[in-house]
Amino acid sequence: MSKTRFSPFTILLIVLGLFLAVFPFVNDSRTMLILFTQIFIFSIFAMSYNLLLGYTGIVSFGHAMFFGLGAYAIGICMKKLEPGWNGVLLAVLITVALCAVLSFLVGILTLRLKSHFFAMLTLAVAGLLMVTAEKWRSLTMGNDGFTFRVPDLLKDRISLYFIALVFMVLTYLLMRRFTFSPVGKVLVAIRENEQRVESLGYRVLNYKIIANVVAGTIAGFSGILYAVSLRFVNTSVFATEVTLDALLMTIIGGVGTLFGPILGAALIEIAQHGLMDLAKVHWIFERWVILFGTIFILVVMFFPKGIVGSALQWQFKRKNSQKATLDKKERSKAATH
Amino acid sequence: MDVILGILINGLATGMLIFLLAAGLTLIFGLMDVLNFAHGALFLWGAYAGIWLYGQTESFILGILAAIAAGAIIGALLEKFIITPVYGNHVRQILITLGAMLVLGELVKVVWGPNLIQAQPPEWLKGSWEFGGLILIKYRLFIIAVGTVVFAGLLFLLNKTRLGMTVRAGVMNKEMVEALGINIKRVFLFVFLLGAAMAGLSGILLGPYSGVLYAEIGLEYGILAFIVVIIGGMGSVTGSAIAAILVGVLGAFAAYYVPDIAMAVNMLLMLIILIFRPQGLLGMKEAAKQ
Repeated sequence: MSKTRFSPFTILLIVLGLFLAVFPFVNDSRTMLILFTQIFIFSIFAMSYNLLLGYTGIVSFGHAMFFGLGAYAIGICMKKLEPGWNGVLLAVLITVALCAVLSFLVGILTLRLKSHFFAMLTLAVAGLLMVTAEKWRSLTMGNDGFTFRVPDLLKDRISLYFIALVFMVLTYLLMRRFTFSPVGKVLVAIRENEQRVESLGYRVLNYKIIANVVAGTIAGFSGILYAVSLRFVNTSVFATEVTLDALLMTIIGGVGTLFGPILGAALIEIAQHGLMDLAKVHWIFERWVILFGTIFILVVMFFPKGIVGSALQWQFKRKNSQKATLDKKERSKAATH
Repeated sequence: MDVILGILINGLATGMLIFLLAAGLTLIFGLMDVLNFAHGALFLWGAYAGIWLYGQTESFILGILAAIAAGAIIGALLEKFIITPVYGNHVRQILITLGAMLVLGELVKVVWGPNLIQAQPPEWLKGSWEFGGLILIKYRLFIIAVGTVVFAGLLFLLNKTRLGMTVRAGVMNKEMVEALGINIKRVFLFVFLLGAAMAGLSGILLGPYSGVLYAEIGLEYGILAFIVVIIGGMGSVTGSAIAAILVGVLGAFAAYYVPDIAMAVNMLLMLIILIFRPQGLLGMKEAAKQ
């Protein structure tokens, strides 16, 4: 057995990646392209959320604040400056700076307290930002929002599809690298037993803040992509619903797994898309939150690891039992000899 | 002067509504360390069920009873099926009660439709009294009266009865109470039902006060109640009362003088408290720590 052998899961991922890479050339229907781009963007957002919820055990109810900051940063830069690459670069820099500073401040204020203080403060800050965006009309046009022009390359649906795809893959790889790094291991340890990590001499607060800053910055990038894909931004980017979407995606897909948020984002986006069509058939489908909420509750109660986590667990168990039966056979063989 | 008094009374009435909601929340948290994000849903169901029966029977008293019953029944179901299974795990508690909040909020739209629902005060509470230019709207005074009575009753229950003593002891040291042979789970269920009933009462009182009901009030007032609990200190009923009145009155003044930041005032207040006094006005210091 060679060392570089890929696991079946990695092969599956590569096949999936190749499929997504050729998909626009096989089927270039506009709705599908837009749907897939949405999935990629929300995958990035959900992955950043997962770093908090799944890997560090922090619940945020205001993750939308970073998403919204990114969206407004690109929108305002494109509107006030000419829609060129300099503006995009400036927007990215502004997003990174704002998200990093904000996540640092929020983290240092409440991450030393019980988990719900962080949940409440993030909810409050996201609410404050939403009010700010609503009232600062000269910059944001208030509740109505505004449309803006983007560089030609970002206008093209296919190139935008690939940009979002590349960003998603990059975020996935970054998450993989980050969670396997020593810092990532400490984060998982904090999730599992915070007191223990503290008594081992780690400064828990610092690690939590690192996780928050990384997650916030990545969420800002997803916000930029989101606004670019719509070429429009309004206050809804700060809404609690955006955070709830990330929460649903992460929990249903698999909290604390690398691939879970991507699967969750795909499932929820596709289901929302499908249910929107079904809403014309019967009004009950408009109330899709009931369906997702119920699934969400059941998942939290019975499969706390989500789809991917439960699948991995099942596979792990099967492997172990196979191993156990093999061991038994070996032993009985040895006994007969 | 009259304007200021008028705003003050308005703020007090809002504060009382929030207090009714926050009192249950803070007790449930103090006693069992359970953070119930679905508390706003009890409020919402109380409001809708109460206003519905009030509309059907024309009796406001029956409506209030229905609201209290709806709050308590849904509270009991919540406690049994949603909160008990994840007891002791903060993160899962927050997540699962949030899920319950979403589902219950949408179910209201299924039962009573997604449109706004109108609500009027009953005949005997309509209109206002006038004292030398000062106009006192009857219904607002009614809310303040109900809130004060409930607050006094709650203080009596907590400080003067045996059950209240058990609850207070449970807030301080749960294990010790259990070791003395008291079934703390039953006490918890009682407190939970009490909190849920108060949430339902608060819901129906809001109906004629704001004039319209919609499904989002559950989350809106739920968040307000949380802000109040954090400002007042987790587990402290008196702290919640002070904080609720503070939030209500400040909000009313802000809405009159600086309407642009009215929505932000509560959030700013909570920010200041979190920075300078994370345990809240009357909370115990240990309650906030990890």
